[in-house]
Amino acid sequence: MSINEEKNIRKTNSIQQIRYVCAIAAMHSASAIPRVIPITHCGPGCADKQFMNVAFYNGFQGGGYGGGAVVPSTNATEKEVVFGGAERLRELIASSLTILDADLFVVLTGCISDLVGDDVGSVVKEFQTQGVPIVFAETGGFKGNNFTGHELVTRAIIDQYVGDYEGPRERASVNVWSLLPYHNTFWRGDLTEIKRILEGIGLKVNILFGHESQGVSEWRDIPKAQFNLVLSPWLGLQTAKHLEQKYGQPYLHVPVIPIGAKETSAFLRKVTDFAGLDTAKAESFIEKEEATYYRYLEDFSDFYAEYWWGLPAKFVVVGDSAYNLALTKFLVNQLGVIPGKQIITENPPEEFREGIREQYRTIAEDVSTNVEFEEDSYIIHQLIRKTHFGHKPPIIFGTTWERDLAKELKTSIVEVGFPTSYEVVLSRSYIGYRGALTLLEKIYTTTVGASA
Amino acid sequence: MKKINLDTPVVESREQRLGTIIAWDGKASELSKESAYGRGSCGSGCGDKARRLCELQGPFTQGSVCSEQMVECQAGNVRDAVLIQHSPIGCGAGQVIYNSIYRNGLAMRNLPVENLRLICTNLQESDMVFGGVDKLEQSIRDAWERNHPKAIFIGTSCATGIIGDDIDSVASRLEAELQIPVIPLHCEGFKSKHWSTGFDATQHGIVRQIVRKNPKKQEDLVNVINLWGSDVFTPMLAELGLRVNYVVDMATVEDLEQLSEAAATVGFCHTLSSYLGAALEQQFGVPEIKAPQPYGFAGTDAWIRELARVTHREELAEAYIAKEHERVKPQLEELRKQLKGKKGYVATGSAYAHGLIAVLRELGIEVDGSLVFHHDPIYDSQDPRQDSLSHLVDNYGDVPSFSVSNRQQYQFYGLLQRVKPDFILIRHNGLAPLASRLGIPAAPLGDEHHALGYQGMLNLGETILEILAHKKFHEDLAAHTRLPYKREWLDQKDPFILARQNNSLHTEE
Repeated sequence: MSINEEKNIRKTNSIQQIRYVCAIAAMHSASAIPRVIPITHCGPGCADKQFMNVAFYNGFQGGGYGGGAVVPSTNATEKEVVFGGAERLRELIASSLTILDADLFVVLTGCISDLVGDDVGSVVKEFQTQGVPIVFAETGGFKGNNFTGHELVTRAIIDQYVGDYEGPRERASVNVWSLLPYHNTFWRGDLTEIKRILEGIGLKVNILFGHESQGVSEWRDIPKAQFNLVLSPWLGLQTAKHLEQKYGQPYLHVPVIPIGAKETSAFLRKVTDFAGLDTAKAESFIEKEEATYYRYLEDFSDFYAEYWWGLPAKFVVVGDSAYNLALTKFLVNQLGVIPGKQIITENPPEEFREGIREQYRTIAEDVSTNVEFEEDSYIIHQLIRKTHFGHKPPIIFGTTWERDLAKELKTSIVEVGFPTSYEVVLSRSYIGYRGALTLLEKIYTTTVGASA
Repeated sequence: MKKINLDTPVVESREQRLGTIIAWDGKASELSKESAYGRGSCGSGCGDKARRLCELQGPFTQGSVCSEQMVECQAGNVRDAVLIQHSPIGCGAGQVIYNSIYRNGLAMRNLPVENLRLICTNLQESDMVFGGVDKLEQSIRDAWERNHPKAIFIGTSCATGIIGDDIDSVASRLEAELQIPVIPLHCEGFKSKHWSTGFDATQHGIVRQIVRKNPKKQEDLVNVINLWGSDVFTPMLAELGLRVNYVVDMATVEDLEQLSEAAATVGFCHTLSSYLGAALEQQFGVPEIKAPQPYGFAGTDAWIRELARVTHREELAEAYIAKEHERVKPQLEELRKQLKGKKGYVATGSAYAHGLIAVLRELGIEVDGSLVFHHDPIYDSQDPRQDSLSHLVDNYGDVPSFSVSNRQQYQFYGLLQRVKPDFILIRHNGLAPLASRLGIPAAPLGDEHHALGYQGMLNLGETILEILAHKKFHEDLAAHTRLPYKREWLDQKDPFILARQNNSLHTEE
């Protein structure tokens, strides 16, 4: 068992080596939707800062069509601080319409606008009444982190752009609310896999973000869907509850993002059941996927059973609840690796924490573990240092911040979360049936690659 | 009147001191003329120090960069110091990029690789109402207990600037208590239109609170104000019997303390070194080398001669110059043959671009256009020997399409159409992705010393040959990609039209 000496470690306001950013980083939630462009009303560095750190030095994901250096910004100066920035925002929006080709603009505010009290709503409303597809969200940095910002932007698009809906619902269709775009380094590949497997069991899928999304037309279809699927420990629940209220749409909450056949098949059966889908069709898809998955797992088993030079027996996961829980579930149940330390870093709202803890307590039928919530890397690293892992160090699933710690503990690290500055990530996925195999390759290439 | 005012903790911004502009379009020779240095000025409004240039201001702007980011990438990369970001968590985002750059910089310099030490005070909504100084004090104490640094820097943010937190008082109280420099760096993003004020803010704090006030002169020590670049100065200055003191990135606090003891100060780019160079000369009599930047034969020769004159090593210098000319020239001839007919475009920071264009011209590459992110009409020394733009124009000829565009990608499209280059040179992010989607490869000069000195001409030539090979990638991409700009904008001939024509795309009748 792990032995902690946590009493010596005192939490303060300080955050050394950040693991999330501020609400305006939800400009990525806008640019993650095809042909949507954010307009930022903030200081000169905000847009660059969020982009370079969340989307560049985090898997080198790139800005895509409407992100990165494209993003309009008021680049507020002393003038906007002293006299207000509404007029400056108005001219920026007007000129953005002249220059940029987008299906929807999303205005996001920063600290300056929220502190001086610009009436951004009124400015945006002027354009909305002229029929311009534009919405706004107040995302000042002191108001919350980028997870909060994501739900603000999502809600802004739903309320200000999608609007009311009274028509019929389409059976066997779903809106998916899952990983936080860009912040989760592998979101694009993962959302693609989620869409693929949900389509496999017979659903029409509004994936909403990423290359597989149909863009704003898909967002306009949100109210038509049969239900909402929240596939994450907590992110998206607020949106689903809002949609339940707004459109009377039910939602299914699955906290564990499935990795590997066991978890993925169980997940698909749960969805099939909830949505009342054709069981036979779903089972036939599951059977086919499992057949492929287990043939590869069989190949892998030669290595896993016979490799001479030692494989990690315990693991540490440091990261957002979504991947943290998903990985823990997979490592424990599929690979039989022993949980050493799990630390969740995105500061989930208090109301969701007990539910998350329960997931770890019941991680397997015969395995129970615990989880801690911590955001300051100094404390996180101390917690790991003070844990006794037995005769060999655990493999670390973490971020770039753990690279030095991994060296210190003489172990390997797999960078799986923000910030992942030493991976180049395009379409890679670590979830579902296919992603699990990629994850196995990654874990054991890291281990074997460092052996000699 | 002193050029540099070190009496207050707040640095004077670039626009106040130097008349910095961030938007302009014309010929390099015109900008050089308008920039004074004694060549005349635009008349009314020219203050004591700054020259006033006419600046284009339009309604559309894309995300720039802020001063606080430059504080992060300077003060935040001092090896045995801690930088506290007194801000909401969003400003802390920069820890990611500057950590990665710091780690790779350390590796390139053969120093132990480690994470940087930045702490964000993580201000919340309630702090905006009641103030955040208690949290600042807590974070200073955390920094001390956790890392026992030799100095603690504090970077301010837009939020703390607006709510008016008294950072200076907290800093001086904790400095007295902890017995290490605790240095407030005022770098609110909204206070300057150009991020380079952040360099000055850091250097201002270092000179005020770290540099030794009673220096013991080290006659063979030269301050080199740089970033994370590879160690090209040590072997070069060793030829003159001089030692290198690299600052600010990856320096130790001790390296910063001895800045006042050096025999001279040099840099790779006046934009970066202007403030610190002038401040060290003014306060401690450390001569800043008043010469063109060390790029191309003309610049490098003059730079070495001036450094040698100031440090009394003229003979060594002439021998080194002769030896290097002889070594480099035949190789340069070979590169010129291979690069014949190629067109380049430089899109980097201001003074650095002046140097790079010179190197391209030494390589026989045509440079019909270039852009700089800002323009300083004058540097802090106010010495015409540092007039890098005039040096370029006088020695290497004019650049017909020379623009000041503060990382504005929407303008870059039109600027590239004017000159259709085969490749671009960049350092900062934001422009190369557009060039790439147009089929134009970029050489990102992550190592800022790459093109410096005699060897730099060869380095850059070879790098250009390498990236020209990338053209295959970019052309393939260009055929399969769409830009986020409207056709009407892309067809526009003048990238500055919105500023020139009162926000309209159409010429008024």
